[in-house]
Amino acid sequence: MKHFFRKGWRNRLALTLAVIGPGFITASVDNDAGGIATYSVAGAQFGYSLLWVMIPTTIALVMIQEMSSRMGAVTGKGLSDLIREEFGFRVTFFLMLALVVTNFGNIVAEFAGVASALELFKVSKYVVVPLAALFVWALVVHGTYNSVEKIFVAASLFYVAYVVSGVLAKPDWRAAALSTVTRPDSIGFRNYGYLSLVIGLVGTTIAPWMQFYLQASIVEKGVTIRQYKASRADVIVGCLFAAIVAWFIVVACAATLHSVGKFNIETGADAAMALRPLAGDYAFLLFAAGLFNASLFAASILPISTAYAVCEGLGLESGLDKRFDEAPAFYWLYTALIVLGAGVLLLPRFPLFRVMVLSQVVNGILLPFVLVFMLLLMNDRELMGEHVNSRWYNVVSWFTVAAMAALSIALLIAQARG
Amino acid sequence: MSLVALSELLGATVRDASGTVRGRVREIAVAPQDHPTRIAYLVVKTADGERMLPLDALKTAGASVRAASEMSAWLRYTPSDGVLLLKRDLLDQQIIDVHGRKVVRVNDVELECTPVNSHLMLDVVAVDVGARGAIRRLSKGVVPSFTLRALLQRIPPRVIPWQFVDLIETDPARRVKLKIAYEGLSKLHPADIADIVEDLPPAEREAVFETISEEVAAETLEELAPDVQKSIVESLDKDRAADIVEEMDPDAAADLLGELREEDSGEILKEMDPEERQEVTQLLEFPEHTAAGRMTTEFVAIAETGVADDAIEALKSFEGSREALATIYLTGPGQRLVGAVPLVKIAISSPATPLAAISEPYVACAPDTPESEVAALFDKYNLITLAVVDEHGRIAGIITADDVIAMLRHHH
Repeated sequence: MKHFFRKGWRNRLALTLAVIGPGFITASVDNDAGGIATYSVAGAQFGYSLLWVMIPTTIALVMIQEMSSRMGAVTGKGLSDLIREEFGFRVTFFLMLALVVTNFGNIVAEFAGVASALELFKVSKYVVVPLAALFVWALVVHGTYNSVEKIFVAASLFYVAYVVSGVLAKPDWRAAALSTVTRPDSIGFRNYGYLSLVIGLVGTTIAPWMQFYLQASIVEKGVTIRQYKASRADVIVGCLFAAIVAWFIVVACAATLHSVGKFNIETGADAAMALRPLAGDYAFLLFAAGLFNASLFAASILPISTAYAVCEGLGLESGLDKRFDEAPAFYWLYTALIVLGAGVLLLPRFPLFRVMVLSQVVNGILLPFVLVFMLLLMNDRELMGEHVNSRWYNVVSWFTVAAMAALSIALLIAQARG
Repeated sequence: MSLVALSELLGATVRDASGTVRGRVREIAVAPQDHPTRIAYLVVKTADGERMLPLDALKTAGASVRAASEMSAWLRYTPSDGVLLLKRDLLDQQIIDVHGRKVVRVNDVELECTPVNSHLMLDVVAVDVGARGAIRRLSKGVVPSFTLRALLQRIPPRVIPWQFVDLIETDPARRVKLKIAYEGLSKLHPADIADIVEDLPPAEREAVFETISEEVAAETLEELAPDVQKSIVESLDKDRAADIVEEMDPDAAADLLGELREEDSGEILKEMDPEERQEVTQLLEFPEHTAAGRMTTEFVAIAETGVADDAIEALKSFEGSREALATIYLTGPGQRLVGAVPLVKIAISSPATPLAAISEPYVACAPDTPESEVAALFDKYNLITLAVVDEHGRIAGIITADDVIAMLRHHH
């Protein structure tokens, strides 16, 4: 029939590109300021020896993200909506409270990342932080889902900067590859620093906000089970890309800082600075720019995703298509997260470190709950129909959840001991 | 007469006639076939399984429940599709607030207790969607119930009266049994229904479109964004989809079918009325961003020899959209466009006035005129409708101002 004249090749191309979407963005945001700091510290302190963590965490990440996107595609509802509908108001309320606390800590960390990246170039944080906050606020309020997604995909691709800086660091490829695939030495685990970094690496890769964000994006994009295969590819490709980036950050720091005995760094900015004399100006520049990009990117996503999850779960009006007076709670929460998250960095006496620790503790408590709720929902036949988890999938994912829970508890104990 | 909240009743201890605690309230059921708002029975979880406490044996309802009969008289509970379970089907679920024209989530349900003879009658009167219900549920069991009641008195309620509530049931069989008809929804303006539909998940969208009338569904569909239109039409069965598409403006229908996959649009076209199908397929052959792609083929054209009364008669039998009626077009030999008469002029002329006498110069464009030029013509000549003529000067269709506004908004 002639009428398909209307459907051009452009439509089809758009459909293919559409595969790179929510899954890719979510996995990339995962390598945020906190992530980069953890990877850098891991490389600087323990060289290549922590690289083995990458493969199991990537598998866990892919599985968990796949479940989020499948649930979004099948039900057309966000995770907080489903938790509310299946587990009631009280559970949802406390879960959302915890989500706000932990995400607030993350937002502060992202703005701190933005500030520290530009401080490397001698730009004052009193200039950078307010501008970054304004940028984030305007981007989301004035952008549409499609235009914002394009910016986000571009930001995701910028992570290649870390791969390049990893190559510039001239690592020992053979040693790095070997330690990625060999089983870890059990002696290492008795070392407290080593163990806490293993936990840190896993914890920074799998965080509660991702499940809410990814599922909501899948729903907002209108992905249905028909297009689900494309979404699954998006998730897998995104997670692999994120893992490769993380691998290169560890390798870059291992090849330079660790090999000359510069073990004690604390942040991504420290790492960039320490890289300069060892790997050259380009590696430094790329590392710093990558940190800036990653932090700003995550700072753009966390406040809005928190506002959506909380308002939907609690049944408050939400959405950027609503006016301020129609959805006051939504806009207030969104604005407060940005203004306070950026603002506390400018207060000279703010107990930044304590807030971060508290946020990580809440993060650790929240994660097992979110994952357990997810798995219960994924096995609800009334909800998921034929798309419930298969048996082997359940075995692996319950094992993953148990491992995550154990690590979270271990992290809590480690933090309690100081 | 007093109000009791669903969340207060759920979990309340139940004593039978002997005064012994027999269990706790687990669910509250309404049987819509018998009465649309009346509670039929409470499901009580006892040591001996779940039982149904009938309302005519209910003496008090609140933080504790007393029955007038012995537990042995309560029948065993068997799940049934035909009853509405307030906790499972209503609490924490999304409903449509017909009066406020939006989708809201239920925090609590308000029931009214009326003493009749020796027992109590319970009726659903409203759903609570505000802070009062939320706080009640958060503090239940933590704050003593009378303190809580006093505290809640101070919070202004945000409730939706039951008659303005539309439940969304995605299972068609169950919908029939529960007598859910979306009557309230159908009375809203299609643009408002479209806003509501955009806030719903896909399965619920489909449920709404399966139950509202084809005319309302068609108008609502026209108000939705193309991607939402597409996903709804794909989810409906082809028969139903064809019925709705037939009711749409041909230009809107063509735009929609052009977005669908080939096999879907083919099937829908096959199910359509031959006449409507022909109009739509003709439009589908035109590129989307031209005058022809935007035009509708439903308009009023009369021979130039006619009088005002002929125009009135033509209006009466016209089935297309009202926007197209702003101008009546006059045609000469071979369907060639020769003039245009604004509707207002016909309304103020006597029935015998020859149309040629009140005809005005018309503005027309070619089928391949780009959209941007179409918009420029509307702006320049302050048009309400614009005629599209083919190379022989015959009128092929018209473009209406509402389409131009939609087109301009989509570009921004």
